[in-house]
Amino acid sequence: MSTINFAAREINCKIVYYGPGMSGKTTNLKQVFAKVPGHLRGEMVSLATEDERTLFFDFLPLDLGSVQGFKTRFHLYTVPGQVFYNASRKLILRGVDGIVFVADSAPNRLRANAESMRNLRENLLEHGIDVKEVPMILQINKRDLDGALSTEMIRAVIDPKHELQWHEAVADQGRGVFETLKTVSRLVLERLAKGQ
Amino acid sequence: MIEPSLALYGDAFDQVETQVEDLLAATGVRYCLLVDRKGFVLSHKEALWAPRPPALDSVATLVASNAAATAALANMLGERTFSEQIHQGEQGAIYVESVGDVALLTLIFDSSVPLGRVKLHAKKTITVLSEIMRTLKEAPPIKFDADFGSNAVSMLDDLLG
Ligand SMILES: Nc1nc2c(ncn2[C@@H]2O[C@H](COP(=O)(O)OP(=O)(O)OP(=O)(O)O)[C@@H](O)[C@H]2O)c(=O)[nH]1
Ligand SMILES: [Mg+2]
Repeated sequence: MSTINFAAREINCKIVYYGPGMSGKTTNLKQVFAKVPGHLRGEMVSLATEDERTLFFDFLPLDLGSVQGFKTRFHLYTVPGQVFYNASRKLILRGVDGIVFVADSAPNRLRANAESMRNLRENLLEHGIDVKEVPMILQINKRDLDGALSTEMIRAVIDPKHELQWHEAVADQGRGVFETLKTVSRLVLERLAKGQ
Repeated sequence: MIEPSLALYGDAFDQVETQVEDLLAATGVRYCLLVDRKGFVLSHKEALWAPRPPALDSVATLVASNAAATAALANMLGERTFSEQIHQGEQGAIYVESVGDVALLTLIFDSSVPLGRVKLHAKKTITVLSEIMRTLKEAPPIKFDADFGSNAVSMLDDLLG
């Protein structure tokens, strides 16, 4: 649930970018950082290894402006996708209000996509949450790759019942990055308006 | 959802602000923050003489993540929790202590400030803060207007094109 500070009239929401290693989660945040005007975003914090793999998380705060007198602030996080960093992933999910699942279109990453989704479900369950309770959207990234898997195939392993809204993306060129963020923000705010 | 929503408002908020203000004065620290476990700033006070603080969003996020990682370590080692955290540098230090399960009190100060004094006052303040937090009621639901949804969407359009 979002932290609502009535005195300061602030609504704070936490959005987490999840997905397998190297799928482009950090790239999404870098693009948002580069394209959102400076006065609307804060510093980006990246806790990464020497070779630029996420170690703990990336963090980027965004000010969306005011809705109905409430200053609305989004905190964007990425998790480390590499399998052995699961303890960190669990911590980052704490207090999540919305999830962007970044899938990789590379032909050899189908299984990694599926396993990451299963891992997400398990980690949420450990926090006592059913994955269906959290606003989530699917970003199918790296559409530019030669031999990219079909979106149908990727959706079949991640979201077989076709419950999630989804966007195609080429994150390192900025394609699909804002669309994705906008959709997840809308889902989170709509849910807030319903008082959940 | 995962975290109980923490809604500070009215009297409770004023009391927290006063406590944080008093602690700042009593200890002589630069910055005094109350941060929730998700990494959002609930209250912040800074000494009049202090330079502009670093990005508070980032400080709050790192403090909360650090505390979460430390707590996870404690659990692995069979401890319920590890108590306060102190990080001392050459010029200054940061002191973080839990306020119950909901928040973290964070003090940032110059090395000329005695740590003993910081700890002593912080612990007193935490006793009071815990009591305030304990009595926090569920937040009243915000009554959003019918057009909240469309307002939010047009705000997103403005920001993200
Ligand atoms: N071809 C292609 N490469 C991309 C795309 N998006 C990101 N990349 C590249 O993929 C690599 C990994 O991207 P990151 O954003 O670091 O991946 P990550 O998901 O944060 O990885 P972890 O931190 O290990 O979980 C980088 O070299 C990116 O430049 C894309 O749409 N197409
Ligand atoms: Mg990364």
